[in-house]
Amino acid sequence: MRTDLPNEAARQRRPTSKKMSAAIVRIAVLIFEVGRRCRAASFGGNIAKIAVLISLAVLAFSLANVRTATNDWFADGVAEYRTGQFADAAEAFENAAVVRPAAGTFVNLGLAEWQRGHAGPAILSWERARWIDPFDKSARENLNFARQVTQLDEPQLKWFETLSIWLPPAAWLWLAGASLWLAVGMILLPPVVRRQKAGWHQSLAACGLCVFLFSLAANWGVVSRTNLGFVLENNAPLLLTPTRDGEMISTLTPGESAREIRTLGDFYLIRTESQTGWVKREQFGLVSRE
Amino acid sequence: MEMVVTGKIQMRFVHCLISIIVALAAAPSLRAQVSPHVTADQAAKLQVPQPVVDISSPVTVTAAFDPPTAGVGQSVYYRVAIDGAGEAAVRWPGSISTPRELKFGPVTQGQLMEFLGNSFRPLASFLYEVKPAAAGHFTVPGFMVMVDGQPVQIPAATVDVDPSVSGPPPRRLMLEVSATNVFLGQPLRARVLLPASPQNQIEALREVEFNGAGFMSDLSTVRQTVEMTGINGRSVPAYIYEITLTPIETGPSMLSAQAFAAGHEFFGTTITARVSIQGGPPHYVFLDSNPVQVNVRPLPAGQPASFNGSIGTFTLTAPKLSTNRIQVGEPVRLTVAVRGTFDRLVPPAPPNASDWEIVPDNPPDFSFTLIPLSDTVRQTPAIPFSTFDPSNSSYVDLTIPSLPVAVTSEALPTEMPAVVDAGTAQGPPLKLGALSPSPGRSAAGLVPPQLRGGFVCLQIVPILAILGLWQWDRHRRFLEAHPEIVRRREARRVLRREKRRLRDATRRGDAAAIVRHAANAMKIASAPRYAAHPQALVCSDVLNHLDDADRSGAAGETVRKIFAAADTRFAAAPQMQADLAALQPDLDAVLLKLEEQL
Repeated sequence: MRTDLPNEAARQRRPTSKKMSAAIVRIAVLIFEVGRRCRAASFGGNIAKIAVLISLAVLAFSLANVRTATNDWFADGVAEYRTGQFADAAEAFENAAVVRPAAGTFVNLGLAEWQRGHAGPAILSWERARWIDPFDKSARENLNFARQVTQLDEPQLKWFETLSIWLPPAAWLWLAGASLWLAVGMILLPPVVRRQKAGWHQSLAACGLCVFLFSLAANWGVVSRTNLGFVLENNAPLLLTPTRDGEMISTLTPGESAREIRTLGDFYLIRTESQTGWVKREQFGLVSRE
Repeated sequence: MEMVVTGKIQMRFVHCLISIIVALAAAPSLRAQVSPHVTADQAAKLQVPQPVVDISSPVTVTAAFDPPTAGVGQSVYYRVAIDGAGEAAVRWPGSISTPRELKFGPVTQGQLMEFLGNSFRPLASFLYEVKPAAAGHFTVPGFMVMVDGQPVQIPAATVDVDPSVSGPPPRRLMLEVSATNVFLGQPLRARVLLPASPQNQIEALREVEFNGAGFMSDLSTVRQTVEMTGINGRSVPAYIYEITLTPIETGPSMLSAQAFAAGHEFFGTTITARVSIQGGPPHYVFLDSNPVQVNVRPLPAGQPASFNGSIGTFTLTAPKLSTNRIQVGEPVRLTVAVRGTFDRLVPPAPPNASDWEIVPDNPPDFSFTLIPLSDTVRQTPAIPFSTFDPSNSSYVDLTIPSLPVAVTSEALPTEMPAVVDAGTAQGPPLKLGALSPSPGRSAAGLVPPQLRGGFVCLQIVPILAILGLWQWDRHRRFLEAHPEIVRRREARRVLRREKRRLRDATRRGDAAAIVRHAANAMKIASAPRYAAHPQALVCSDVLNHLDDADRSGAAGETVRKIFAAADTRFAAAPQMQADLAALQPDLDAVLLKLEEQL
């Protein structure tokens, strides 16, 4: 039986490693500055190079440490899952996801939650896996299976949201940035480098602008999808008012999709396929919110 | 034709007649729905006759001393029985007129309902313990009391007090308690005894009550027996009424008992002694007991929060679970056995646990039904429980510890049957996927970079790069328009190198190198003005670079000497070295002037 770090401790681990990395960078800068002054004082120029190398090594070590911690939780989760300890497995995968959100971790977390009989958290985990990696076949198949079992429909997406699923959210942003600056570069750089503007320069600029406009729609789709969430608990009440004893409009099915409209205290105002109401925070999970 | 018409009319008449007969015959069986009828005998069976309380018969009163003859100082009872009135209906006077020689104690009163076969009749009784202080024949005169608003005469009663009489004491109850020094809330056992008469006749007790403030009786603990018991060193049969009393007030308290001797009315009594029971209708006699002082102490301070009033010397056995592998929502029974002697045992209240629903079993069972609400629980909740041990006047923590359990959830299906598409083709069965062997593609967080400011800040880099390129191109164009700036910058750079070489040569004392580097330095410093290669310049070019005063002065002389030495550097080297050493300050001044003009 597990008695080590609870979930909260795992949450605290990432800020600690961030602080550690920041401290290491500061030390590296300090060492580099000392080396530069030594070089100015003709004590030799190799000190700065050594300092930079040491700093990079320590930084790499700290990053590797974070990665090792993630892998520890992940390996624990796999081991617990294989022994049938699904609650422990889910806890371990959740900790791994807190330290480093990864598609495989969310897929496994969804499996553990499904085995525990928690359809809502399972569907949310697989949606998160697809959010990180839209090409993850396992997450897609598990979602199809879960929706077949629970008789739930996929969330209704607008065209630009469907477009945004083609690539990971970050990829769309990088694509937009790269295409924009490619177009700008193709327009501005030939005169700067004293080259005659060629046809291929203009073609590249046009392509870049087209891709940029295309990716703008996808980026808007990514932003629009951030309010998409899923019901976590069975028979979660949809309330008329954001109060504990609010009048119940209806009950929600675990795994049912809804859109967050706004937040008030411990309640989300959500819109399902057919109605709008308030639901408690712990009963509703957003895909893109930690 | 007439015959045919007549036949038709006859047929119609016959049809009508048959219809009427059929309707009349069916009428009894076609009754409408009526309410169920209950016959008188059925109603009588449903009614249970209740005896009435007889308050209409005339009230009869008796007053007498028990015994009618007593010795001086011997207790006697003055007993008034009002048959036909309840205790509440009698307005008994606060004091009655009595002879001075008779010392009356406080009044004790009680009532019962006599069952007369088909009715109840109330009987109220008033009792005084009297101690005669002197011999004589004393009479308590009759007096009036109000019963149900009507005056009723209490007859006079007489007692003969004779010093020579030493008869048996009057019949009274005996009260025994299990402890006379108890803590608040610590139950004690009280026994009310009515010994058998000298003829070994035993009587039952009815309407047993206890007088004394601060005690709570538990009627569920009543036990009535007729058994042999020791009284004044002798084993005699007695009717025993036992009950548990719980003190609810602290301090000394006088406790006494009262009851009616009820003849052979032994209801729920266990008889184990050989006794004779009086026959005939019961004669109800109101009795009381001697008082017993009970000292009730408060519980010591520092009660633990988990103390719920249990008092005694307890030990708990290790708790046992019916099973330790359960599913969410499946009840499991936690049992604990209690050992020891306990005066009062109250099972602990179940604690509030978010992951468990805890239902205590019916007291006095010391067990709980636990229902896990989540599969994350790993152990049962600890159930706080503390008791008070009166033997050492201290609280004892007997918290029921947690027990490890394995809770699982009811899993959802992991495989679906094959789906039939369009009635012909059969799709592959849907299955839950396998575990991912590695974390796979990761992200810095679930919040997309589109909602973070970092990426926007990152766009400053290409903007700066483009601005830098633009600035570089502008600068390059400026230098192309002003080549002298480039020449001067190059000249300054090369001049610094030559001056360094010159210093090295001077340090070494290498005259030829000094001359060569000094001449080169001067040429380099003068070259930008002519837009010519430095090696193309001669002494006059350098001199032209100086102003008139310098040209004719020491600077010009130094330049000439340097260039002359450079031209003849292969001759008279020693002498030149001495001259050059003397020229060094002037040479530095010339180079400084030339450099300033760059």
